[in-house]
Amino acid sequence: METFVSFLGGFEALLSWEVLGFMIAGFLIGTFFGAMPGLTSVLAIALLLPITYTIDVVPALVMCASIFMAGMYSGSITATTINIPGAPSSMMTAVEGNALMLKGQGANALGHAALGSMIGGSIGALLLMAFMPIAGELALLIRTPGKFSLVLFALVVIIIVDKGAIAKGIVATTLGIMLATVGIDVLQPIPRFEFGTELLVEGIGLMPVVIGAFAVSELLVQAQNWNLSLESTLKRAKGLKIRRRDFIPPWSEIREVGLFTYIKSAFIGYAIGILPGAGGSMAAFVAYADAKRSSKKPEEYGNGSREGIAAAESANNSMCGGAFVPMLMFGIPGDPTTAIVLGVLVINGLQPGPRLIEQQADLIAPMFASLFVSALILIPLTLFLFGPYFIRIVSISRGLLYSAIAVVALVGSYVATYSIFQMFLALLFGVLAFFLRKHNYSVVAMLLGFILGPDLEQYLRRSLSFNDGNPIVFLTSMDSLAFLALTIVFAYLILRKKPKLDAIP
Amino acid sequence: MNNVERFRRSSVLFPAFLLILTTIYLAEALSIRSQFGGDTLVGPRFMPILMAFIMYAALIVVTVGEWRKEAEAATGGSLLRPLLIVVATGIYIALFRPLGYVPATLGFVVALFLIFDFEKHRPAFFIFYVIAVTALFYGLFAGIFGVRLPPVLGGF
Repeated sequence: METFVSFLGGFEALLSWEVLGFMIAGFLIGTFFGAMPGLTSVLAIALLLPITYTIDVVPALVMCASIFMAGMYSGSITATTINIPGAPSSMMTAVEGNALMLKGQGANALGHAALGSMIGGSIGALLLMAFMPIAGELALLIRTPGKFSLVLFALVVIIIVDKGAIAKGIVATTLGIMLATVGIDVLQPIPRFEFGTELLVEGIGLMPVVIGAFAVSELLVQAQNWNLSLESTLKRAKGLKIRRRDFIPPWSEIREVGLFTYIKSAFIGYAIGILPGAGGSMAAFVAYADAKRSSKKPEEYGNGSREGIAAAESANNSMCGGAFVPMLMFGIPGDPTTAIVLGVLVINGLQPGPRLIEQQADLIAPMFASLFVSALILIPLTLFLFGPYFIRIVSISRGLLYSAIAVVALVGSYVATYSIFQMFLALLFGVLAFFLRKHNYSVVAMLLGFILGPDLEQYLRRSLSFNDGNPIVFLTSMDSLAFLALTIVFAYLILRKKPKLDAIP
Repeated sequence: MNNVERFRRSSVLFPAFLLILTTIYLAEALSIRSQFGGDTLVGPRFMPILMAFIMYAALIVVTVGEWRKEAEAATGGSLLRPLLIVVATGIYIALFRPLGYVPATLGFVVALFLIFDFEKHRPAFFIFYVIAVTALFYGLFAGIFGVRLPPVLGGF
């Protein structure tokens, strides 16, 4: 209870002009990147990661949280208006929202998407604040073999979640772990894989990997798929007339969707957010399928179901809250956004874990408050203020946009360490990630392998060295055994269950 | 499709490239010596060697899968534009410090605009946007965040 109260104190930090400014700026940047097809909020946070070196940790975390929430919501804008989801998590919203758009009710669909995002995002943030202290207590019970099994569980789930390409998932994750082994050994002061150069003795930083994997590779992918059809679609859509008053959904429609749908979808989204590698797309899909299954009007799905929009948007925004739990408690990010936020924490000398909640709640509480305020206030406010101009804003020339992104990415990778070598590494990882993406290897799995690799190695070697190299310790330690059993259960559930194709209209 | 044609497919060449990379990695891993306690199971080369073998196994599965596929689905357009971006970026990085932020970035933005066909037919707008992008991010990094960007020709 005491910790929960200290989390509520985070709202006070948002009253500072500096922190408030970063939260609003982050939300607007996240909205733009989330709404623009081809750009994502992950890219926004990746580009802003270097800036976090120059600002305090509180505004940096507050900004990351508002970008995360905004990016998850704003994917619904182009999904509804031009049937191109700004973010992958808005796929289901595109199905229903664009059907309403074609009936001349686009503003109403955007209003329902915003309402779902607002309710789901707020519930997700509240659940995060409420359950974080409990998660902290549980985290204290886990010993070194258990920590190894937990990291292993996360990596296995990340790999098998794309069950069509498990071998490629293993390749990408292992590649990330291999990259993480470059530099000083995790237990002994000896350099590894420095190949005779001092430049690699300190290892490879998170910055060039993130910038390369998400910014440079995106630039190369967009350059390869360059065509002006999207630009012309957006220019055509500029003529759409959207009025502010149509954004507010009538009470009768909200009652028809039902409060229970919002709350249930939010809980589904939050639970999926806790799972590593699942993300907003899965949250939206599962909640949408569940809403359709239990709907009184399943025939509306595919033809503009407001209930479908509400379920999908409530779940993907609630997912934001859940995604922070494993990252803050165990240093295990569930998705690329929280992976980068973990980088911000580490850059500022903060170590994830129960102690972070106990001793430095004042630093992370504003981030939780930012998630809540972004969902509850900034989502509806942004829709009301900028809604009629969204299409005009995202119609900016992509040539100009990608050129600007290239400059930010490269100069950003320089400013973190003032190193030209880091810029070259960003380019190198960008090219590597480009080919990984081209051949359907998961770049996210590579990033999470890179981040979790040192922990995996450290816990494995520590556990074995304390037990004379006997691996049986992973089965005799109860916490470890529990996570190994959980790994097998998840692998069974994910690999055995066939996707319900009829869930997508 | 004969075996030579199968091997030339990029979906087979890419795991082959990773296979070579893993072999170099494994060779380097085998040369790691523990500072104390000898090269036991839990020494500093344990994890790299384990990862290399996992990588080999996964790459074999991937390669066999790709090899068996009959035809490669077309993925995206020409590689010329990405290649031009990589070359332009490489040159930009190499000249970033010797030339300084302003001249290097002006040149880089010109190259990117040309690659992305942006305002090629309206020279006045082209020049305006080149200067605007360079100035905007100078203002952001140096002005707002106080970052020391390389000065023109290393001086001033």
